[in-house]
Amino acid sequence: MRRHGPRRIFRFPLRGQVEQDVDAELRFHLEMRTEDLVEEEGMAPAVAREEALRRFGDLGTITDTCREIGKKREKVMWWSELSTELRQDLGYALRQMRKAPLFTLISVLTLALGIGATTAIFSILDAVVLRPLPFPDPDRLVHFWETNPQTDSFSVSELNYLDWREGNRSFKDMAAFRYASLSLVGDGEPVRLDGFAVTASYFPLLGARPILGRTFLPEEDRPGGNTRVAVLSHSLWQGRFGGDPGVVGRSLRLEGQSFTVIGVMPADFAFPPGTALWIPLVPGTNQNRSDKWLDVMARLKPGVSLEQARSDLDAITLRLAERYPDSNRDWGARMVTFPEWIVGPQVTQAFLVLFGAVGLLLLMACVNVSNLLLARATVRGREMGLRSALGAGRARLIRQLLTESVLLAVCGAVAGLGVAHGAVQAVRAFGPEGVPRLDEVSLDGRVLVFTVVTALVTGLLFGLAPALQASRTDLYALLQQGSRAALAAGRRLRDGLVVGELAMAMMLLIGAGLTIGSFLRLQRVETGFDPEGVLAVQLELPEGEYPAERRSLFFSEVLTRIAGLPGVRAAGATNAAPFGPFRPNINFVVEGRAPQGPEEFHSADWRSVTPGFLRAMGIPLRRGRLFTEADREEAPAVIVISQTMADRLWPGEDPIGRRILWGGDADGTSLTVVGVAGDVRDMDIDEVPQSVIYLPYQQVPWSQMTLVIKTAGASADLAAAIRREIRSLDGNLPIPEVHPLQQSLSSAVAAPRFRMFLFGTFAAAALLLATIGVYGVMMFAVAQRTREIGVRLALGARPWSVVGLVLRRGLLLTLLGVGLGWTGAFALTRFLASLLYGTEPTDATTFAVVALLLAGVATVAGYLPARRAATIDPRLAFSAE
Amino acid sequence: MKIDLLQGTLDVLILKALSWGPLHGYAVVRWIERTTEDVLRIEEGALYPALHRMERRGWIEAEWGMSEKNRKAKFYRLTGPGRRALHAESETWQVYALAVGKVLRAAQGA
Repeated sequence: MRRHGPRRIFRFPLRGQVEQDVDAELRFHLEMRTEDLVEEEGMAPAVAREEALRRFGDLGTITDTCREIGKKREKVMWWSELSTELRQDLGYALRQMRKAPLFTLISVLTLALGIGATTAIFSILDAVVLRPLPFPDPDRLVHFWETNPQTDSFSVSELNYLDWREGNRSFKDMAAFRYASLSLVGDGEPVRLDGFAVTASYFPLLGARPILGRTFLPEEDRPGGNTRVAVLSHSLWQGRFGGDPGVVGRSLRLEGQSFTVIGVMPADFAFPPGTALWIPLVPGTNQNRSDKWLDVMARLKPGVSLEQARSDLDAITLRLAERYPDSNRDWGARMVTFPEWIVGPQVTQAFLVLFGAVGLLLLMACVNVSNLLLARATVRGREMGLRSALGAGRARLIRQLLTESVLLAVCGAVAGLGVAHGAVQAVRAFGPEGVPRLDEVSLDGRVLVFTVVTALVTGLLFGLAPALQASRTDLYALLQQGSRAALAAGRRLRDGLVVGELAMAMMLLIGAGLTIGSFLRLQRVETGFDPEGVLAVQLELPEGEYPAERRSLFFSEVLTRIAGLPGVRAAGATNAAPFGPFRPNINFVVEGRAPQGPEEFHSADWRSVTPGFLRAMGIPLRRGRLFTEADREEAPAVIVISQTMADRLWPGEDPIGRRILWGGDADGTSLTVVGVAGDVRDMDIDEVPQSVIYLPYQQVPWSQMTLVIKTAGASADLAAAIRREIRSLDGNLPIPEVHPLQQSLSSAVAAPRFRMFLFGTFAAAALLLATIGVYGVMMFAVAQRTREIGVRLALGARPWSVVGLVLRRGLLLTLLGVGLGWTGAFALTRFLASLLYGTEPTDATTFAVVALLLAGVATVAGYLPARRAATIDPRLAFSAE
Repeated sequence: MKIDLLQGTLDVLILKALSWGPLHGYAVVRWIERTTEDVLRIEEGALYPALHRMERRGWIEAEWGMSEKNRKAKFYRLTGPGRRALHAESETWQVYALAVGKVLRAAQGA
C-alpha cells in the first residue's frame, strides 16, 4: 500500500480499517464454528478449534484476498467521493466568481499577465537553452578551438586537425567544417549561397541521414578523390529545384566549377543553421600550420569523460608544439560541449536571469490576488461560519477555497496563454539576431505542461494563506460579529504580503535599472568610427574566374566608379566586414626581439583594406600615412597599426618605421609600420579595443570584400546606382545587398537591447502591481477602521492627523519592503554581472534611484486612501455596521 | 455422498441465502449446510472472498451489527442489482441443470 503522496490528506479518518474489518469478520466465523462444534458435537474446545480451522481452509490466503478486495473497494469509493465533492466545489466556485465579477476580472487579468509572461519566457528558455540539440547525444559532442596566450578561440589549422584526429584516443570520430560562400550559376539568376565544406565524417558524427541519395564517402574528402560533389539542404532543394525527386545526379555550377548533386538532407537538418548546401572539405590541402580556419568537432568515445579527453588533447598539442616549434610553440587547444558552444554561457545566463525576473513578477501577481482574496475572506467570514456550523470540517472548507483559487488560476492561465502567444509571436518577429534557436520558440506541449503546472501551483500558492485564514472559523467569535483578533491576524498577513511584494518590486526594478544603465553605456561607447551615412556592400568574386591580380583590378575599378557617383564622399573596402562573422587574426614577432616565452607572444586582428577604407569609415589617422595606390604587390610590404597596438609594442616610442615578422616565426614576411590609426570597436562592441593590423589590399588581395561607402545621405537611388556600377563590371555576380552600417551597429547591440526591453517591461509591470498592492491594502485598512477613524474625527482629531495616522503605516510597510528588496537585490544582482557592460552589479546610483522611485510611488499609493480616511463623515461611520 | 462446489455456484447460493434477509457469513454457511442437508461441501473460508467480491460489485451491502449471541458481526444484505443477479443466475442454473439432466436421462434410456 502506498504510504505517502497527496492521498493521505484526504484519506478516511480510520487508517487500517479494512484490515481490522476483515480480521474481525473471520475471527467471528472461527469462534462461532468452534462454539457450535463444542455444543453440537461435544468436542473438546481445543479439538473444536482445530476442526474449525481445518474446515475454514487456508486462513492466510483468504485474509489477504479479502483485504485486497476491500482496499480496492475503498479506493474506488474514495475517488467517487472526491469527484463528487470536487464537482460540488467547482459549481460553488463558479457561483462565487459570478457573484463578484469585478474581483474575478481583476484577479484573472493579473494572473493572466503573470502566467502569460512566465509562459512566454519559459518557452524561450526551453527552446534556446533547455531543449536538447537536435542531434543524438548532443552532450557527447564537443567543439574545438586552438588557443594561444592571448586568445582562446582560434579556428584550427588543417594539419593540426589531421594530427589530432590521428593521435587521439578519446574520440569516436572527428570532423572539420568551414564556411564556404558559393556562387551558383545556371537554373535562374546567379545567387550566392551559404555553404559549408565538411569532411566525410561530418554527417555520421551528427547522426544525420539524407532523405535522397547519400552523403560524402571517405574517399571524397581526400586529395585525388572525386571532391566535386554536393549535398543539398532541404530548402535549397525545394526552392531552387522545386523538390525534384530526380535531383540526385544533376550537375551544378558552383564557383565556376561543375559539381554533382549526390544527396538531399531532411528539412530538420540544417547545420550550421541557414546552410544551403555542403561540399567536401579536403583537410591537408593547406600545408601551413599557421593558417587556422577550420571548425572542428568530435564525438567522445563511450565511457570517456570530458576531463580525460581534455588531458588527451593537451598531450597531443604539447607533442605537436615540440615537433613543430615554429608554428605550434605556445599553441594549445580547448574544447567545450556542443550545448555550451552553440548556446553559450552568456545566453543561458541571460535567459535564466529573465526567467527568475518573470518568476518574481508572477509571485507578485500571486501576492496581489492573495490580498484580494484575504479582503474577500473577511467579507465571507459569515458564510464560512455557516458552512462550518452545517458540518463542513476545516479541511473541507480549505479544499473548497483552494478549488476556488485554482479555478481562478486556471482561468488566468487560459487568458495567459493568449498573452504568451502574442509575446512569442513578437519575439520571433522582433527578437535579436544572433540568439541561437530563437526561431524554434513556440507554445508546444512542453510549454503547455509548464503552464498547467504553473497555474496549479500558482492557485495553491495565492490561495493557501487566504484559505487558512478564512477557514479559521470560530463560531463564538462569529456570533460576536467580526472578532477583533481574527481581523488583526488577517491584517498582519496582508501587511506581510505587501512588504514581500514591495521587496520583489525593488529587486526587479534594480535589475531593470542596471540593465538599462548598461545598455545606455553600451550605446554611448566610443566606436572609433563614424557610421553616419555609411553604406556597406558585401561582394565576393568567384576564385576560379578571378586570380589575385584581377581581383585587385576589379575592386580598384569598382571603388573608383562608386567614388565618382554623386553624393558619395569616400569609398573603400575591407575583407573583414564590420560586426561580421569573419575575424582574421595573426600572431607575429617584433623584429629584433627574441621570441621567448608567452609574454613575447603577440597576436593582432588584421584586415586587408583599400586606400580609401579608413577615410570612408571615418577612422582617424594618428601618425604617419595612409595607404596609397602605390603600395602595390611589388612595393615594400607596409602596415598601418591601431593605437592600442602601438602602445602595447612600443610604449612611449615612435612606431613609424618599426618592423614585425608576419606569422610568428623568423622567416615570416617583414612588414614596416607606416601609420597609426585610431582604435575601433567594429567587431564586438563591448570589447576593449584590440591590436589591429591594416594591410594594403593590393599586397593581400582577397576575393570576399565588404565595400564601405561614405555618403552625404544614403538613399534608395544611391543604393541602386551602386548596384548598377557593380553589375556593369560583371553581370554574372549575384545582385549584392546594400545596407546601412548603422544597421550592423544596431544589431550588434540587439541582444542587450532585447534584454533591456524585457527587463524594463517586467519592472514596469512590477511597479504597477506593487502600486496596486499598496493601494489595495491601505484602502482596505481604511475601510476596516472606518468606525475608529470616525470616532477620532468626532472627538475633534484634525483631518491631517488622520492622514498621518494612515500614512505612517503605509510608510512603515514601504520602508520595510524597500529595505528587504535592497538586501535581496544586493545578494542577487551578481547573477547579472556577466550581462552588464561597464556597470557594477551593485551600482550605488541605481540602488538609490530605484529605492527613491519605489518609495515615492508607494507613498502616493498610500496617500490616496489616507486622504479618503480624513474625509470620512463620522455620522456615516457609526451607522456603517 | 458429498459434492465439491462448482466454480461460480457459490455466488448463487450466497445470494439465495441472503434473499431471506440480512445474514452474517457464518449464518450463510450454516444455511447452506442446513438447506442442502450437508450434501454440498464448501470450504468455509472461500465464502468470504466471494462475499467481498459481490460487495464490491454492488450486489450486496455490508453493515456491522449484533449477532444472535450478542456479538459484533458483519451482516450482508441483498441490493437491487444483487436481486436481479440472483434471478438471472438461478435461471441460467436451472436451464443448465435441466439440460444436463436431459442428456443423462437420454443416455440411460438408450
